[in-house]
Amino acid sequence: MNIKRNESEVEIPTSSMADIAFLLIVFFMVTSAFAATRGLDYLLPPKVDVPENIEPEEAVHIKILADTSILIDGDYYELDEIQSYLKPKLERNPEKPILLQTEMDAPYYRMVDVLDQLKKVSEPVEKGGLGIPMKHLSIPTNKEFMEIMERMGLE
Amino acid sequence: MKVKNREIKTNIPTASMSDIAFLLIVFFMVTTVFTVDRTDVKLPQSELRLEVPRNTAYIVLTGVEGMIKWSAGEEMSEDYSVDDLYQLVGMEMQKNSNKYFVIKADKATPYRQIDKVFEILKESYAKNIYLLTQQETI
Repeated sequence: MNIKRNESEVEIPTSSMADIAFLLIVFFMVTSAFAATRGLDYLLPPKVDVPENIEPEEAVHIKILADTSILIDGDYYELDEIQSYLKPKLERNPEKPILLQTEMDAPYYRMVDVLDQLKKVSEPVEKGGLGIPMKHLSIPTNKEFMEIMERMGLE
Repeated sequence: MKVKNREIKTNIPTASMSDIAFLLIVFFMVTTVFTVDRTDVKLPQSELRLEVPRNTAYIVLTGVEGMIKWSAGEEMSEDYSVDDLYQLVGMEMQKNSNKYFVIKADKATPYRQIDKVFEILKESYAKNIYLLTQQETI
């Protein structure tokens, strides 16, 4: 007797695969945030209880006023003029200290703008910087500035 | 005459659906960063930007004077008073003296608030600071 073989097709059920996958997509879409995780780094100097004597004529004093204008050593400068002002000074003496002071009512973005310009000084020339290492950039707090001024007998 | 209806089986090809879906999953898995802070602030812009290391502590200035949001780097950020920051930073510095701190603040924040945070960080002997910025478009 000839028995007919019952041929049954074997397959893995994959119909729910897409459902699971889309569920995972929704999860990742909801939980993901294209976060901003980049910024300007700034190395704070170690706190010294008895600060060294700072001679004002040796340091470059950059002051950001509340109206966002920039004063460098007493004269007004534009943001894009900072690098050209610093270049000859730093070429002569890379150890030159640079002090960045921001008035209390000045907006934060202006300080970041200036810091960005200052950080770019040390960047290689091909990256738009000056390629001059800046060794002493400091951002004293208002309290520290008051102390410096007091010590120098200024108001 | 009896006309036999010819039945055509129609079906949508779904075999590649899961391939597409998994491709999307991989994309989202790679790009997802589980942020510790989701405060919506308009960050200042800078041309120079460096990647902030992982497990960095976040100090978020929300715009309300005297209040901050803090995360030590692993948990979601929570509200604190600025005066609590001395203790919070101090605790982190005890655990790791090379701890990184990120300052996330709105670009219009008056500098006095940033100055206060700097003061606390300096007094706590913190060294590594990042100012969170946005890409500057030219």
